[in-house]
Amino acid sequence: MPETNGSPTESAIHFQDLTVRFATPAGDIHTVVEDITLDIDDGSFVAVVGPSGCGKSTLLNVAAGLLVPPKGNVLIFNEPLQGINKHAAYLFQQDALLPWRTVLENVRLGLTFRGVGYAEATDEAEKWIARVGLAGFEDRFPYQLSGGMRKRVAIAQSWIVDPRILLMDEPFSALDIQTRQNMENELLSLWLENRKTVLFITHDLEEAIALADKVVVLSAGPAHLKGVYDVDLERPRDVIEIRMDPKFTRLYQQIWADLRDEVKRSYDESR
Amino acid sequence: MSLDRVAADRGIAISSTRKHTSRWVILALQIFTFVFIVLVWEFGARLGYIDEFFFSKPTDIAALIYKWFATGFIWLHLGTTLLEAFLSFVIGTILGIIFGVALARIDLLCAVLDPYIRILNALPRVILAPIFLIWFGLGLTSKVALGISLTFFVVFFNTLQGVREVDNVILNNARMLQASDRQLMRYVYMPSAMSWILSSLHVSIGFALIGAVIGEYMGSTHGMGYLVAQAQGLFNTTGVFAGLIVTSTLVLAIDMGIIRLERYLLRWRPKH
Ligand SMILES: Nc1ncnc2c1ncn2[C@@H]1O[C@H](COP(=O)(O)OP(=O)(O)OP(=O)(O)O)[C@@H](O)[C@H]1O
Ligand SMILES: [Mg+2]
Repeated sequence: MPETNGSPTESAIHFQDLTVRFATPAGDIHTVVEDITLDIDDGSFVAVVGPSGCGKSTLLNVAAGLLVPPKGNVLIFNEPLQGINKHAAYLFQQDALLPWRTVLENVRLGLTFRGVGYAEATDEAEKWIARVGLAGFEDRFPYQLSGGMRKRVAIAQSWIVDPRILLMDEPFSALDIQTRQNMENELLSLWLENRKTVLFITHDLEEAIALADKVVVLSAGPAHLKGVYDVDLERPRDVIEIRMDPKFTRLYQQIWADLRDEVKRSYDESR
Repeated sequence: MSLDRVAADRGIAISSTRKHTSRWVILALQIFTFVFIVLVWEFGARLGYIDEFFFSKPTDIAALIYKWFATGFIWLHLGTTLLEAFLSFVIGTILGIIFGVALARIDLLCAVLDPYIRILNALPRVILAPIFLIWFGLGLTSKVALGISLTFFVVFFNTLQGVREVDNVILNNARMLQASDRQLMRYVYMPSAMSWILSSLHVSIGFALIGAVIGEYMGSTHGMGYLVAQAQGLFNTTGVFAGLIVTSTLVLAIDMGIIRLERYLLRWRPKH
């Protein structure tokens, strides 16, 4: 149980001694995540970085309730997680739009599933489509969009339901630098408006520092906590200007020292 | 039906990187092939290389088909066969989809029924025709029963496969968006299985017609199968061929309708 020793912040996600194992095709057991204990405060923005294949998406799948860990507990707002995490929206790393539904229908989906009326859901969906810069593309099917456009549809699709927790798996890595910075700023202003809990995975350390309150570094697989860093940069931030800040550079060097070892280890192991 | 179509129906992949010949060239070659075969047949028969008693000849067959339609004689038979085929197609398809979805979703049901379904599917269904005649009589029911026994399994196995092939990420995304079980079925499983189901329809429409015609052939008072059986009894090969040609043209026409439906329902897929 997480202690509630008078602290004003509530815990949104709490991983306790989390371990995840998969069976390999050869029949061996492959440990992906090992003994991770991590607390994510309600309303905080936490970024997770780590070498490719270390278990970042796995961690997110556990938080989403899509993967039941063989060992350890997951608490969501201090309640043990059972089944799908109803408080969370999940932005998948892979393409996850329904290919047989148009942009409008895809964005509307979460509202439709919750029984919101057709007209209201359509209005709201159109607003979101415009917000991610895709007005005019409502009637396209996903295959008719570029990779970056599909990602933006997915963002609208997951945010429209106004969830308390946003799980985001490398959401901006497919975007060009301009769109990416726009979306990052958009995400920050959105987040400042209503302070949702964000668990944000990225392979880009600069992005992690520019966005987050806290950066979690995972070790090369099996992933355990290598380090947790507080990012005490003032808000509101602009993702481009913040990079010039000397504090930013200092933090970057400090975290990179940690991350570099793991990336190198992961690279050496894979050879 | 083009050969590619046939290949696709049998689950053989068609390379999309292959060079495409213009469809007009293909059409011209198709017409040429048809004309060539008809001419060889016609002149072979006239010059005595092909025995007319066994093979008839195209002009005779065409004349007979023309007469059937001109006198209106054919409509009753064609109508009967069509109705039987239509009923077996619709009922077989619906049952196939229902069972396919149920068994794909309910593992226990699938495990229990698996051996029985395999046995039934391995059974040569045509042999059931006489039994159905005994059970259901000479009328429509026995033909529809035979047709269903043929169409059901094609659609069933394709639906089962289609529902099981659902992309896990898409499924998880819909679950995270809080789709209920029914909504998952409607928004994820069914559309995903649809391309499998639709491609099974090309095969099953042929089977529905085979069921009807064989049923009629074995015992009935009208229908295309009955016409063919009558002609055969009189050693009238022209009648047999005419019956076969009308029947297969019918399949072709219906299949084109299915291709249209397919194009509409699968409009979300990239065109290659
Ligand atoms: N369903 C699964 N079955 C077996 N092994 C799996 C499964 N899912 C993930 N893995 C393994 O777990 C490890 C971590 O995978 P994960 O997707 O969490 O990595 P990641 O950190 O998100 O990597 P990336 O940055 O490349 O997205 C990998 O070695 C992968 O092979
Ligand atoms: Mg990943």
